[in-house]
Amino acid sequence: MFEITNLYKTFDNLRVLNGLTLNIRDGETKVIIGRSGVGKSVLLKHIVGVIKPDSGSIKLDGVELTELSNKDYDQVRKNIGLVFQGGALFDSLNVAENVGFFLDEFTKLSGSQKQERVAHCLSLVKLKNAEEMMPAQLSGGMRKRVSLARALCMEPKIILYDEPTTGLDPVTADAINNLIIELRDRLKVTSVVVTHDMTAAYKVADSIAMIYHGQVIADGTPEDIRHSRHPVVKQFINGEATGPIADDESMKFGHVK
Amino acid sequence: MVKVFIRKIYAQVYGFLYYAGELSILFGQTVRCLLSTPLHPYRFLWQARRVGLGSVFIASLVGLSVGMIIALQMAYMMVKLSAEIYIPNVIAVSIARELGPVLTALIVAGRIGAGITAEIGTMVVTEQIDALRAFAVDPIRYLVAPRFLALVIMLPVLTLFAVIVGIFGGFLICFFKLSISAYMYWEMVKESLVIKDIVTGLTKTVFFGMIIAIVGCYEGLHVKGGADGVGASTTLAVVRSFILIILFDCLFTFVFYFLFNA
Ligand SMILES: Nc1ncnc2c1ncn2[C@@H]1O[C@H](COP(=O)(O)OP(=O)(O)OP(=O)(O)O)[C@@H](O)[C@H]1O
Ligand SMILES: [Mg+2]
Repeated sequence: MFEITNLYKTFDNLRVLNGLTLNIRDGETKVIIGRSGVGKSVLLKHIVGVIKPDSGSIKLDGVELTELSNKDYDQVRKNIGLVFQGGALFDSLNVAENVGFFLDEFTKLSGSQKQERVAHCLSLVKLKNAEEMMPAQLSGGMRKRVSLARALCMEPKIILYDEPTTGLDPVTADAINNLIIELRDRLKVTSVVVTHDMTAAYKVADSIAMIYHGQVIADGTPEDIRHSRHPVVKQFINGEATGPIADDESMKFGHVK
Repeated sequence: MVKVFIRKIYAQVYGFLYYAGELSILFGQTVRCLLSTPLHPYRFLWQARRVGLGSVFIASLVGLSVGMIIALQMAYMMVKLSAEIYIPNVIAVSIARELGPVLTALIVAGRIGAGITAEIGTMVVTEQIDALRAFAVDPIRYLVAPRFLALVIMLPVLTLFAVIVGIFGGFLICFFKLSISAYMYWEMVKESLVIKDIVTGLTKTVFFGMIIAIVGCYEGLHVKGGADGVGASTTLAVVRSFILIILFDCLFTFVFYFLFNA
């Protein structure tokens, strides 16, 4: 279980996280929504410790992550798979090497075992015959799916998906949503899904949290969110151009000034 | 006026010391990493190949032309003094001690150092470094250590090569232009070069290799922004390693002078 409390993060003069508090229960799929630039990707990077907070605490099963040394954090990271928004594939390695990266680094599997596992992960994300391709040769959607396969290949207990279905065709996107649900049901994976797609959010979520002004302003079941009375949440989930969000000048760039 | 000037100098000195400190930290981390975890042999060999094979042609070319140029320039003066016979000594000593190590290091800094910065910098802006960290892989172990070791080992090899080719270049001029016999030339070279010259020359290049690797990796890891940031850092990496190589060469020469001639 993740307990994120009072997280603050400022880049230069830009406060992105402003006392963010969020709990993620074991085995649940938590969907995070919020406007572009509000700090969703930054939050995920805080969880894997790629970005350090200015203050606040992130606890995983009672262990304070922000105080861990890099070496101890690495042990935690081995259980967390992060699917980067932009893919972040290693562009000197081909698709198979990217997907098998974790296996190459940390396991002593034989070549054929590795190959099998890589092929299996690629088939989960509906990619075939792409093993030998280089990242530069892939389309945006393929890149995203390779990134997802790379995270799956480490068989993590926790998976953080940064917009896993953005840029995918509706059929593939739905397959990915089903995959997220299946991983939760079959392997009890804890998932955090950042998405802008409300249909997908309702479909995969056990709970939905909305970030606004660097804080979580709503957190509840999909039903709670759907019927929320909060004007900001209402405007956001209905995708309306007019409302409190547009009125709020300081929200122009999606964060607190 | 004077105050502003002093403040500027102070800022410069502070900036330099700060930079040197940052480099030392990366250096320390790299050495610790090399000592504590075994290096992936394939990754090291790949880098060594890139440094060695990739630069051997240009290093020999420069060595050859420097050897020939020194021979010609010396001939001009020495003939007047009828002391042509000492030309091989001058060529051998100056190339083995100074020109070989420094020129090879500068070439490699421009060729390999810049490449390292551009490569690592691109990985920073495309979040690949973040991805390494997220996968519990230390970028220093994965990226910096193999490049560091490759440069530290391959730069002396390249230098040795350039020195030999340079002395051979001098031989071409002496033999065909000044009619010094082959036997004479090599005898003079052998006589003038003591082991100490070779050793000091090659010891220097070990340090030059460290400078190129650490500056290249440091600048790469500290790229800010996008493609323009990568470009700016690449330029910085070349300029800074040039300056450090030359500074270090002066320092080294002084130290050796006082150690052995005092
Ligand atoms: N490394 C960084 N340095 C400086 N500012 C940053 C950095 N990373 C993110 N930011 C800023 O933090 C804010 C939040 O960025 P983030 O990528 O988390 O947005 P997001 O919510 O994921 O948006 P989107 O939905 O468009 O992906 C942005 O305004 C961005 O400018
Ligand atoms: Mg994002």
